[in-house]
Amino acid sequence: MRSASTPPAAGNGLEPGFRGVICVSFGSTGDTAVPDTDGQPRYDLHFEAATADTLLELKSVFGSSRVGVRLVLAGPPTDIRAAAAVAADCGLLGEEVTLLSQETGPRFVYCPHCLSTTVDVTAGTEVTCHGCSTILAVTDHFSRRRGAYLGYSAHAEEAA
Amino acid sequence: MSSTIIETDPDAALLPERIRRFPFPFASDTYRYSANVEPATKTAPTEAGSWGTHLVDIDEHYLEELAERAKVLDRDASRVNVLPHMRPSVWDALTTLLSSMADDYPDTMSYHREGNTCRWHNGLQNLDIEFTVGDDSSLPGGPMRFLGSQIQDDIILLDVREDTLWLDAGLVTFAADWSFGFDVGMNFMEIHHPVPRVKEERIISRAQQFLLRLQPGEQFRRTNWTLTIGRRLDTSTETYPEWGPDRSTIADDPAMPEKLHLRVEVQHLVRLPHSGALLFLVRTHLLPLSDIARVPAWREKMGHVLAELPDDMAEYKGIIRYRKAASDWLLAR
Amino acid sequence: MTAIALQPQVHPAVEGGLHLEVTDISRQTESIVSITFAAPEGGRLPSYVPGSHLVVQYGSGVNAYSLTGSGNAPSDYTISVLRVDEGAGGSVAMHRLSVGDRVNVSRPRSAFAPASTASHHLLVAAGIGITPILSHARAAVERGNTASMIYVHRPDAGAHVAEARKLLGPGLTALIECTNRGSFQSVLAEALITQPLGTHLYVCGPVVFMDAVLEEARSQGWSSARLHSEAFGAAELDAGEPFTVHLARSGVRLEVPAGVSLLDTLETAGKTIPNMCRKGICGECVLPVLRGAPQHRDLYLSDQEKAENTTMMCCVSRSNDPELELDL
Ligand code: HEM
Ligand code: FES
Repeated sequence: MRSASTPPAAGNGLEPGFRGVICVSFGSTGDTAVPDTDGQPRYDLHFEAATADTLLELKSVFGSSRVGVRLVLAGPPTDIRAAAAVAADCGLLGEEVTLLSQETGPRFVYCPHCLSTTVDVTAGTEVTCHGCSTILAVTDHFSRRRGAYLGYSAHAEEAA
Repeated sequence: MSSTIIETDPDAALLPERIRRFPFPFASDTYRYSANVEPATKTAPTEAGSWGTHLVDIDEHYLEELAERAKVLDRDASRVNVLPHMRPSVWDALTTLLSSMADDYPDTMSYHREGNTCRWHNGLQNLDIEFTVGDDSSLPGGPMRFLGSQIQDDIILLDVREDTLWLDAGLVTFAADWSFGFDVGMNFMEIHHPVPRVKEERIISRAQQFLLRLQPGEQFRRTNWTLTIGRRLDTSTETYPEWGPDRSTIADDPAMPEKLHLRVEVQHLVRLPHSGALLFLVRTHLLPLSDIARVPAWREKMGHVLAELPDDMAEYKGIIRYRKAASDWLLAR
Repeated sequence: MTAIALQPQVHPAVEGGLHLEVTDISRQTESIVSITFAAPEGGRLPSYVPGSHLVVQYGSGVNAYSLTGSGNAPSDYTISVLRVDEGAGGSVAMHRLSVGDRVNVSRPRSAFAPASTASHHLLVAAGIGITPILSHARAAVERGNTASMIYVHRPDAGAHVAEARKLLGPGLTALIECTNRGSFQSVLAEALITQPLGTHLYVCGPVVFMDAVLEEARSQGWSSARLHSEAFGAAELDAGEPFTVHLARSGVRLEVPAGVSLLDTLETAGKTIPNMCRKGICGECVLPVLRGAPQHRDLYLSDQEKAENTTMMCCVSRSNDPELELDL
C-alpha cells in the first residue's frame, strides 16, 4: 500500500524512543499538506488508504514512540478517523493529535437497525444501507470512535 | 419543584398504585428544558401520591420488565458494552447498588461483603449467589449483565478524564429514541448534540460542570419525559422501524387514551465511591392518558403542556404529529 | 482521652461525615506519624478513589490529609501527618492523638484521581507527598495496572519506604529513591523521555517541587492531560467569610456566618425561598440584589449576569462586600 516515494517501513525507519512529530498522510494528499513542525524531529508516512495492514503498521510506530510525541493526520475523513481511533487506543490524547481533514470525500454512515456501516460517496441527505437495504436518513450526530454519522430509517413513519 | 405547593388530592387514596407512585413531571402548565437536578432519595409528593424515596425503585412490573430486558439483550448484543478501562467502575456500580437495595428492601434482599467476597440474596427472584469483586467470571454474564438482571433501570457509566465525562460503558435496553451502541465512547457534549436549544441555553455545559464537581458518594436525580405508543419500553433507534409507524396512526385511533402513554424517566446521577466514575441510571415509567385523566390536576397540566410546547421541542421528542390530539382529548374532559 | 478529642462543635467542612476512633498510631520518621481510624462499632468504611484525602477536625479547625490505602472496601483509614511546628496547629494536634481518641472527619474526597485509561502510572513523590502516591501504587497493583515510583526524601527520613518496597513486583515495577537533588534531576530527566505512550504522571510534594516537576514534563512535550498533581480542596467550596444581608422590603438584617449558606440563613429566619439543587446549577433560588457585590460561586448565571451584580444564587454564593442589600 505504501507508495514508492515514502520513507522506509516503521521499525527500521523510526528510531526507537522517537518523541518528535509523526506525520501520516493518506490518498492523494501530499506531504506538503502537513505543516512545518517547528524544528522538531519529524517522521513522514504515506499510505493509499487506512486498511487493516496500514493500521497495524501505525500501531507499531506508536508502540516504539514515547510520551512527548505528536501526531498529524492528513487525508480523506474516513482514513484519518480510522487512524485517529488507533492512536487513541495506543494512548495518544486528543490534544496531541491534529486532524487535517479533506473537505470533501466519502463519509461513513452507521445503521443502528442492522449495525453495519455504509460508505456514503454522494454525501446527500439519504443513503441506502448496504447491510439491510433500508433507506437511511443521515443525521449530523457523529461518533469519533466509529468515525461515522448516525443514520435511521428515513421513511418508517410513512409506512402505514 | 419545591417552589410549587403540591397538594395530594383527597380522593387519591382510592387510586391504584401505578397512579399513586407515578413520577408526574410537570410542575406547571408549560415545560422548558432546564438543569432540573435535585438531591436523590427525597420523597416527592404529587397530586396523586408520591415517588422517589429510594435510589433503586422496584415496582409491580419488576419481573416482567427484567424478562423483557433479557429478550432484548438476546436479540441485540449492541445494547451492552463495557470499554476495557471501565471494568472497575462496573464492579463499583454493582456493589454500590446491591448494598443500597439491601438497605431499602430488607424484607426481600440482603447483601454481605467480606474482603472481595460478596453474598447477595434477592427473594423476588429466589436468588442466592456468591461472587468475587473483580472476577468477571464469578457472575453469570459478567457484572454488567448481572446488574441489568437485578434492577429495572438502564445503566450508563461515564468516565471522568480531561475535565470531561465520557460514556464508556452501559446496558441500555429501554432507550427513548436514541442509540446506546452508537453513542458509546462519546463525551457529554457530543451525546447531547441532537438536542435542540440546550446549546444556546448552556444547559448541557453547566450540567457537565456540576457533574464533574460531584464528590464520590453524592447522589442527585432529575426527570425527563416524552410520549410512547403502547406499553413499549424498547423505543431505541435500533427498533425504530417497528414502532415508528404507530406515530402516523395514533391521532385518529379511537383507542388513543389507552394506547398513548406519558413516558417519564427518573434519572439518577451517582458519583461512585472507588472508581470515581459517574453512574447514570434511567428508570422508565409509563402511564396511559386514560390513567393520567383520573387525576384532574394532571389532566389539565399535561393537556396545557402538550398544547403549548414549542414545535422544535415537539419535533425532537417525536410527538409533533399527535400532541394536539392528545392535548384536545385531555382538555375536553 | 485527651482534651482535643472532645470537640464541642462539628466544623462545616466535616458535616455529614464520620465519627471515627483512633485504632493505631505508628511513627514513620522523627517528624511523621501514621494514624489509623476505624468506626467505633467496627465494620466497613466507605470506599474511596485512590489519591483521596480526608478532612480531619482538630479543636475548632480542620486540615486535609491524604489516605494511604488503595480505597477498596476498607475497614480503616490511615493518614500520615508531618509535624509542622510553625503551622496553624493542626499537625501538632494530630501528633497528640492517642489510641481510643474520637475525631470528626469528612467522607473521603477525591481531587487526585488516577486516569482509568492509563496503561502505566509514573508516580513522583517528595517527603510527606508519599501518602497519596502510595495510595496510587497500591491501587495500580490491585487493579493489575503497572506503575513506577520515584521517591525523594532526606537520608534515613523516608516514610512508608518499607510498604512501598513490599509492593515491588509485576504491578510496581520500579522504586527509585533519591536522597539528593542532583540524583533526582537526572532520574526524572531520564524517566520523562522514556515512557510508553499510555503513561500518565502523578506528582505530590511541596508546591515548588510539584511546579518544577510539571514544568520539566511540559518542556519534554508532556501534554497537560497526562499530568496530575495533588490540589487539596480544589474541588470543594470553602466556607467563605461571614457577611451581613439587609432585606430591604422586610427591613431585617441577618448575619451569614462562615460555613453557612445564605439560603440556610434565610430559611432559618423563616423565609421561604424556592430552591431545588442547592448546588448552584438549577437556577431556582435566584435573588435580586439591590446593593453590594456578591461573590458569585454558582454555575447558573452567565459571566455577564455575574458582572452586573443584580442577581445572585443564594444556595452557594456569598458576598465580597461586608453587607449586601436584597430585594426581599
Ligand atoms: C450524566 C449523564 C447523562 C447522559 C448519559 C445523558 C444522555 C442523554 C441522551 C443519550 C439523550 C438523547 C440524545 C439523542 O437524541 O440522541 C439525552 C437527552 C437530553 N438530556 Fe441528557 N444525559 C445525561 C445527563 C443530563 C443532564 C444532567 C441534563 C440536564 C441537566 C440532561 C439534559 C438532557 C435534555 C434536556 C435532553 C433532551 C430530552 C428530550 O427532550 O427528550 N442530560 N441525554
Ligand atoms: S437551589 Fe439550585 S441554584 Fe440554588
